[in-house]
Amino acid sequence: MHLRLVSGVVASILLSAGAPFVLGDGALRLWTEALLILTMAQMWNLLAGYAGLVSFGHQVFVAAGAYALFLAAEALNVSPYWVLPLAPLAAAFLAALVALPLFRLRDAYFSIGIWVFSEIVATLVTKSSLTGATAGLPLKTSSLMDLDWFEPTLFWIASVLALAATAGLLLLMRSEFGLGIMSVRDNDVAAMSVGVDVQRNRLIVFVISAAGCGAAGAVNFLSNLYLSPASAFDVSWVVNMMFIVVIGGIGTLEGPIIGTLLFFALREIVTGQLGLSGGWYLVALGSVAVGTMLWSPRGLWPALSARWGLRFMSVERKAPRLALQDKPNND
Amino acid sequence: MTLLEVSGLNVFHGDLQAIFDLDLRVGEGEVVALVGANGAGKTTMMRALVGLIASKQGRIRFDGAEISAASAEDIARAGLCMVPEGRMLFDSLTVLENLMMGQVLRRRGYWTLERVFELFPILAERRSAMPRHLSGGQQQMVAIGRALICNPRLLLCDEISLGLAPLMVEQIYAAFAQIGKQGTALVLVEQDVKRASAAADRLYCLLKGRISLETAAGAVRVEDLTRAYFGA
Repeated sequence: MHLRLVSGVVASILLSAGAPFVLGDGALRLWTEALLILTMAQMWNLLAGYAGLVSFGHQVFVAAGAYALFLAAEALNVSPYWVLPLAPLAAAFLAALVALPLFRLRDAYFSIGIWVFSEIVATLVTKSSLTGATAGLPLKTSSLMDLDWFEPTLFWIASVLALAATAGLLLLMRSEFGLGIMSVRDNDVAAMSVGVDVQRNRLIVFVISAAGCGAAGAVNFLSNLYLSPASAFDVSWVVNMMFIVVIGGIGTLEGPIIGTLLFFALREIVTGQLGLSGGWYLVALGSVAVGTMLWSPRGLWPALSARWGLRFMSVERKAPRLALQDKPNND
Repeated sequence: MTLLEVSGLNVFHGDLQAIFDLDLRVGEGEVVALVGANGAGKTTMMRALVGLIASKQGRIRFDGAEISAASAEDIARAGLCMVPEGRMLFDSLTVLENLMMGQVLRRRGYWTLERVFELFPILAERRSAMPRHLSGGQQQMVAIGRALICNPRLLLCDEISLGLAPLMVEQIYAAFAQIGKQGTALVLVEQDVKRASAAADRLYCLLKGRISLETAAGAVRVEDLTRAYFGA
């Protein structure tokens, strides 16, 4: 199993290393965007699909990462690449800060609570001249980057993020910590009774999820060279994450990958090939969502893997060797 | 030697009081039955003991330490574990993974995965099954096994026989005899008085949140118990 994981990672690295030399500029941009959205979707999936916390406010972490990058690059007057690591840290810090009050809320109250929090932060940022108010921020130190390699570099960073998110999630969920996370999702009372520290587990997952979104958000706005509060705090960030995860298969690692491919394929076909307006794209997304929910309420991947017996990144732990292993297994 | 000592316990559900000024003790390795009608407060008391209900007053001492303000994790870590009513298995995890959750605390002792599989051989056969594909009795075995792997000093079992076939109840109670042999103290919460008193050393009866009877399990008089169970 480890061999498969390592070979999968190596193959992905080779593919993404070579891709910029093969793909055109437009395609490269599209793939960069897709990989960033995939990263965010996996982070949302970690929180909702594995820890059972459905967030409607993850755009606040996307924005936190982006603002951290833009402000730090300007303050330190260095190339944005150097301050990129600050983006996930800022998002993680914000998440840790808000977790204390938010975790007092359960289920739908949590979902709405984090949305309200995001709106509060958005309002503060829009009012503050420090963050450029409604006008937003230009990337002041963009001249310090080598613009010839700008697109490929962003693509590589996006690849690293998406790969780290997916492989990291796989390893996390196969660990004992992951088992604890899933037990909390299934039944938090029972998890507490066997000694799982429910709040600590939730906090760790929440912070990781925020950090991943912060990093992906920062890279996204880095590629625009411009950051506006309206686009950073746009609720469509979390709507897209949700669509991708729910359609692809929540609580699976393959699901968000399928969801992302479908999401971008639809967009390219409807607005590109068919030349229809953005409104029709949303109609198409909605129809696909309704169709999927009718055909397979748990998302596409669980239905596909059940039909063809596919398993790529199952997180199920294997039984340890036992004296009883040679008994017939009736399942 | 007293393992668990509860004195003056009051437990609340919001504005409603469910347990009134309750005293109870369990000795080291002792098997205690706790009986009572529906709504007498048995489950509430259990949940308060293991830290799942915070709004309570009174003293709970376990193994010499005060635990009335401790978190559920810390209480489990001290060796006071519960098999919750309704089994509460982790539905998306396999039988094996459910059992492995008992190892989270790393309390080492007699009970290991292998020993639980010896106690309930059917679980070894069905270890990669999902809980929803098991019979009720098998699910109960998983719940008991998961708690045993924590190697508790005191195991609280809430309505173990509820909704199970008589033959299954027989098997599970046979397992309790083995569990008791390892020195684990047990509290058996039951509606089935006969079954509980046959397995126990001592018996408490709970009525409307108060202890209405405390007696040696072998010396239960039917008329006393009837009065204690249903009220005068």
